[in-house]
Amino acid sequence: MNNSIVSNAAEVSASAINASDITRILFENFHPNAVHLFYVIGYIAIAVFLYGTYVQIRKYRRGQADGSWGEILHRFFDMVKTMATHRTLVRRDKSAGRAHGLIFLGFVLLFVGTSIITLEYDILQPLFGLKFWYGHFYLWFSLVLDLAGLGLIIGLIYMMYRRKWLKLPKLDYKRVDRQAGDADFDRSQYRREDWAFLWSFILIAVTGFILEATRLVWLSGRPVVWDYRMWSPVGALLAHLMQAIGFSAEGAGTFRTGLWWFHGVLSLTFIAFIPYSKIKHIFTAAASLMFKDPLAGRRLPRVPDDQKTAGYKSITDLTWKNLLHLDACTKCGRCQEACPANAVGAPLSPRDVILSLREFANHALSAKELPKEAELDIHGKGVGQVFMETLWSCRTCLACVEICPVAVEHVPIIVQMRRNLVEAGEMDPLLEKTLQTIHKTGNSFGESKRKRASWTKELAFEIKDARKEAVDMLWFVGDYASFDPRNQKVTQGFARLMHKAGVDFGLLFEGELNAGNDVRRVGEEGLYEFLATSNIQSLDDCDFKSIVTTDPHSYNTIRNEYPDFGGTYEIQHYSTVVKKLIEDGRLPLAKKLNYKVTFHDPCHLGRFNKGYDAPRDILKMLGCELVEMGRNKDNSFCCGAGGGRIWIPDPVGSEKPSQNRMKEAAVIEGLQVFVVSCPKDLTMFEDALKTSGYEGQFIVRELIELIDECMEYAIPEHELLVESVTQAIAIQEVLVADEMRGH
Amino acid sequence: MKILVAVKQVAALDEDFEIRADGKDVEEDFLLYDLNEWDDFSLEEAMKIKESSDAEVEVVVVSVGPDRVDESLRKCLAKGADRAIRVWDDSIEGSDAITIGRILAAVAKKEAPDMVFAGVQSSDQSYASTGISTAAYLNWPHAAVVADLQYKPGANKAIIRRELEGGMLQEVEINCPAVLTIQLGINKPRYASLRGIKQAAAKPIEEVSLADIGLSAGDVGADSSMSRVRRMYIPAKGRAQMIEGTLAEQAAKIIQIINEFKGA
Repeated sequence: MNNSIVSNAAEVSASAINASDITRILFENFHPNAVHLFYVIGYIAIAVFLYGTYVQIRKYRRGQADGSWGEILHRFFDMVKTMATHRTLVRRDKSAGRAHGLIFLGFVLLFVGTSIITLEYDILQPLFGLKFWYGHFYLWFSLVLDLAGLGLIIGLIYMMYRRKWLKLPKLDYKRVDRQAGDADFDRSQYRREDWAFLWSFILIAVTGFILEATRLVWLSGRPVVWDYRMWSPVGALLAHLMQAIGFSAEGAGTFRTGLWWFHGVLSLTFIAFIPYSKIKHIFTAAASLMFKDPLAGRRLPRVPDDQKTAGYKSITDLTWKNLLHLDACTKCGRCQEACPANAVGAPLSPRDVILSLREFANHALSAKELPKEAELDIHGKGVGQVFMETLWSCRTCLACVEICPVAVEHVPIIVQMRRNLVEAGEMDPLLEKTLQTIHKTGNSFGESKRKRASWTKELAFEIKDARKEAVDMLWFVGDYASFDPRNQKVTQGFARLMHKAGVDFGLLFEGELNAGNDVRRVGEEGLYEFLATSNIQSLDDCDFKSIVTTDPHSYNTIRNEYPDFGGTYEIQHYSTVVKKLIEDGRLPLAKKLNYKVTFHDPCHLGRFNKGYDAPRDILKMLGCELVEMGRNKDNSFCCGAGGGRIWIPDPVGSEKPSQNRMKEAAVIEGLQVFVVSCPKDLTMFEDALKTSGYEGQFIVRELIELIDECMEYAIPEHELLVESVTQAIAIQEVLVADEMRGH
Repeated sequence: MKILVAVKQVAALDEDFEIRADGKDVEEDFLLYDLNEWDDFSLEEAMKIKESSDAEVEVVVVSVGPDRVDESLRKCLAKGADRAIRVWDDSIEGSDAITIGRILAAVAKKEAPDMVFAGVQSSDQSYASTGISTAAYLNWPHAAVVADLQYKPGANKAIIRRELEGGMLQEVEINCPAVLTIQLGINKPRYASLRGIKQAAAKPIEEVSLADIGLSAGDVGADSSMSRVRRMYIPAKGRAQMIEGTLAEQAAKIIQIINEFKGA
């Protein structure tokens, strides 16, 4: 018998052994009362689990309605795909993502395995006398589950190693918005929970294997068990080890009883604890992914006209979807790592906002009765409340939303909370002034409406007034490109490009108002509605085919948010328009630029609207050598101007996000040009270049300026005349000289 | 308990403005209208009293002006004023600050408030006399340029601090009811969100005619005013010239210029 260690399917059927005997007898040698006791514990565990689930669901139902139920099937399959591929988990942290993949797969397989046994033992066999868990199926089942368990343990060990030895800043839960000594400063209870989770999980897995090995030793005399032990290789290996250290079959049998109860009760406790601990993320994260809004932060929610207060003041103002997102967070810290405000020491960690609100919701919404309204206020300095300074630190750049592996949507919540601050006037005085200025003049510069298109005066040609005649392309210029003197140069450059390419284009002139993208992200929804509807009115009165804009902020709100106000237009950022014009030969490149450049993705073009390629393609066509910065494309680092922060002064003495970015660019050896394609970026980075001390090392340029550099413009007529006269005089002089020499 | 806050919609000049054909004002196209800056502070002072009081305090804003003024009144309602009154009749056009004070006094008699607040001055006309003339017509005590106010709703006295020249303050006890003209910086005016302004559209603005307050067309307008605008213009820019040369040359030149001015 002992030499038939290697068993295979052929041998199973060939041997005299009955295939139905190759199985595991459940509760073998158990007193019936012991089995009953186990079932009682099992039912209690399930009851505790169900109650906890009920409390969670009751909590979500205390939130506001949300219309994310549409396309539920599509959402479900999307979620399954995301979970199966672990796409969001391996991003920017491959090892953690893969380790999680092992744990996830192990858990799923072991859960399915246990369910199969339950299906046969508790349902099909007692009801219909049906059995299938034996023979080939049983052996393959054992092998798969053994490997699943092994994967689970490997994954868990890596996670323990990562927590203990890698010292990752993102796993440090100390808060940036609280002081040492504050009740919720170090969040050490989370650290303890993490370790309790890891230890209990790994203990369940390890005792499972030891239990398996113990059974093998105990039943080593039974061929239907012992001969097929290699179908559970980890168990078999441990069994041999146990025998080697002197475990007898009888000893193993005794040991098994104790271990069985330990493993069983621990597993059931684990299940009972799911809704009360971070383990619940197996459900909440899945649901969060399923209800993910692909336009989160790109299109902010409207405030219903009949709603009394603007934005979120109480925890019950959040929607059930928001509350669900709060519970999905596993504190992985990827949002904090990506946050530009956090990087420069501002009192904001997107994770802490989510966790604060979660603690608040758990405290306020889990009781049978809702507390008084005053106790539901999420603004303030108390435990679980969010500071005003924290909310105002946000640049709404979406770096956090982008990287969150479980689709938490931080920015919409932050903006909703800001709406309430704006309503109460709790904002920086300069910001308040700017909002009033925008209301009064329609632009953030406080300039007269009449001056919006004054940059056109220096051009050698006229630009059509789209309000008076039909055009192919309507150019929405935006505030910075219209009023800022440095950006006006770029704006004129783009006008020259369009003119040279023979594009039929026009402007709204003083009919254009600030597009409102940043006003909306500040949280001044009323002003945004005013700006958006005014612009839509102006646009609807014009005859054009599509819109082009040189401003990514305007691009985002016109593209994604104007449709909610009845303005649906085809709109492109200039980079895609110019790329096409060059490709079609309408903008012949007169020379190649051999610059070594790097490209900064503007948040609103890149991350918001996935416009990563066109600017890079143009740079290549211009002959530039593009070297990427470490943080690029979807991980591009905000210049710090977003979310209305361009109107709020940064604290003196601390690093600005734009300076942080300059440092990153300066690492590139031989970098000549830092290329941007957003007016605000040009302003922010030209300033940061000086203040961070890299002036002279490289320069900041708008992409338009580089394209402009490659153009050969026809010389205007009067200049041609001057040139020909000069030339004629020169020739005359040569002739006269020749004559004098006697020719 | 009631506080009446007199406010004004003022005009600001747009870029490259033009003077009206009759030469008495700026062409309306070039004017941007907004609530007078001082009035933000006087309304805020009234709101502070209202919000810190246990007793019911009604804040009523009043303005004299045409339809467009509703927009500014709505801003006041958005900031929390309970009611808004707008007095207008075409005959009011051309009234000077004193006559406006007469109209406001007539409203105050009808409303019978416990206090009347006004801004120290308006940013467009800068007469700084509307509030004071209102007090005169009411025959109430008044204090101008109030930089601090201690007043309990219903009290018959208030302690105020007035801003004087040279950074001095004058503390005054004043009998109530009184008319106070409020100085900038007395408080931090709240922000009126656009949403709030939109919602305030639901609150009615009472349109009051001259007859409603016991006045007639003969009491107001340019003809009944004691002062009238003759013309509005941009003065010719002064000239300056640099005198060069040696000290003696410069002195000679100056003497020459003085003699020219003397008409010698």
